[in-house]
Amino acid sequence: MAKRVLVVEDEMTIAMMIEDMLMDLGHEVVATAARLPTALEVAGDGNLDFVILDVNLAGHQSFPVAAVLQQRGIPFAFATGYGPAGIDPAFAGRPVLDQAVHNCRSCRCHRN
Amino acid sequence: MDSESPQPLTARFPVGGGEIGRLIQTRDWSKTPLGPLDLWPQSLKTATNMLLLSPVPIVLLWGEDGVMIYNDAYSVFAGSRHPDLLGSKVREGWSEIADFNDNVMKVGLSGKTLAYENQELTLLRHGSPAPAWMNLDYSPVLDESGKPAGVIAIVVETTKSVLAQRRLRESEERFRAFTTATTDIVYRMSADWKEMQQLDGRNVLADTANPTVAWQEAYLFPEDIPAIQAVIDEAIASKGVFECEHRVRRADGNTGWVLSRAVPVLNDGGAIVEWFGAATDITERRRKQQQLELIVHELNHRVKNNLAMVQAFAYRTFRDAEDIPRALDSFTARLVSLGRANDLLTGELWSSASLKQTLDQATVPHRPDGERWKLTGDDIRVSAKTALALTMAFHELGTNAVRHGAWSNDGGAVSVKCSLQIIDDGTQRYRIDWDEHGGPRVEQPKRKGFGTVLIQRGLAAETGGSVDISFAETGFSFRLDAPADRLRNE
Repeated sequence: MAKRVLVVEDEMTIAMMIEDMLMDLGHEVVATAARLPTALEVAGDGNLDFVILDVNLAGHQSFPVAAVLQQRGIPFAFATGYGPAGIDPAFAGRPVLDQAVHNCRSCRCHRN
Repeated sequence: MDSESPQPLTARFPVGGGEIGRLIQTRDWSKTPLGPLDLWPQSLKTATNMLLLSPVPIVLLWGEDGVMIYNDAYSVFAGSRHPDLLGSKVREGWSEIADFNDNVMKVGLSGKTLAYENQELTLLRHGSPAPAWMNLDYSPVLDESGKPAGVIAIVVETTKSVLAQRRLRESEERFRAFTTATTDIVYRMSADWKEMQQLDGRNVLADTANPTVAWQEAYLFPEDIPAIQAVIDEAIASKGVFECEHRVRRADGNTGWVLSRAVPVLNDGGAIVEWFGAATDITERRRKQQQLELIVHELNHRVKNNLAMVQAFAYRTFRDAEDIPRALDSFTARLVSLGRANDLLTGELWSSASLKQTLDQATVPHRPDGERWKLTGDDIRVSAKTALALTMAFHELGTNAVRHGAWSNDGGAVSVKCSLQIIDDGTQRYRIDWDEHGGPRVEQPKRKGFGTVLIQRGLAAETGGSVDISFAETGFSFRLDAPADRLRNE
């Protein structure tokens, strides 16, 4: 079933690839946010089924976005090059995608 | 002799006195200045008996010549001179210090006393002169008429304790020299570490001259104290070495780090008397270590980021590729471009790069020879991230120019103009104009390739600016207009 996905990623090359991967899987990319304010805005009122959340957004951590999604009950997965150790303990247990090599098919296993 | 008089004392003189007592009894004194024993004056006998019964080393110097009568305790001090020394004249028996004893005799026989503490005298011992120290007390001995007839001397040799004190002093001086020579912070703590006795801070820490119980507040951070106290408790319990790397408040108010080591000083009973410690300033070492950890961490991130970009290029390049060899060429060229951006940024330690140099480097692989490239205008320093994005976008512009644009024929040229502008609200904007001319007639492409997407969407998102692309018949053009601060900082 097609999902409505928000991609939060500050590296545009990577963001575009994730979009392609998601579209190839038959999902719809609702929006791509490269900066924290945009991400917070879409996470707060977007009609979303799932979010891929880069931990580091141009020097700012994206945990406030995670907090909003958690509150709204929207499933999400972290994408980070720093590994699970860099994740705020408040979101322990959330799926973490290693940023080195993306495989969006694995996202399907992590529905909250 | 009067028959009424008591039994002559000579019969039982001297009384006791050990080895010397027997020697005095058996020696023939008639050939000495003192004369036969039974003719000795009572005052001489009394003084002799008194010293013979004393456990303290005492010598009697009788008459002008100072004839020596001494006890067993003194014979130990006399060493190999005994027993010949008994009955000899003091200036002859101790010839090496005749001058000293000459003065003793003169003063004593004039009725005065002399006292010396730790007096150093060079004595012949075991055939060679050696320094010796002694406490000497001289007082006159009166004869029956009340005139001084001899000098009695209490002689206590103090050589051992003087040498021990001297060694101690030398040891203390060496210690002082050592603590002065070292650049380490030196400190002393009470047995239970509650009180700091002293700390010499070497300009790294503030000095503590007088004992204080408030040393933890002065030198440590509250949050570090429990861990440090645990190491202290362990050292006290084991009477072992205290060793700990911890933060300190430096004399200049900044936070520093020390490697501190202290050893307990124990008394004879094995109880801790105090602690003596030295601390090395390792602030700089810690800073470099942290810096290194940060760099390794950051490097790991960059490596992963590069891998992700490689994956993105591969995915995008091959996803819709109809011509695989051609896609492979594109992919390889993109990787080379990414590599060059890495080279540029490594030279700048990944801090910032010159924008114009970045554009120049990104297009080098595509540029034909001759006057077909012109880069003019204002330069600014841009962040590593911006430099990377610009490199990838200008690589795509160069690729397109070679394939379809101004660099695809023999005469076309590309001119790039950079300009920093201050707009009405005072903020700065940076504009890059890429204009192609002299190339073949331009046709609007049927579909947007990855390169164009990368240029348009990628660069706009990365720089927070606007990107315009125009496929005019006379030449392709590209324009970026972005906030200068964002190019510099993000």
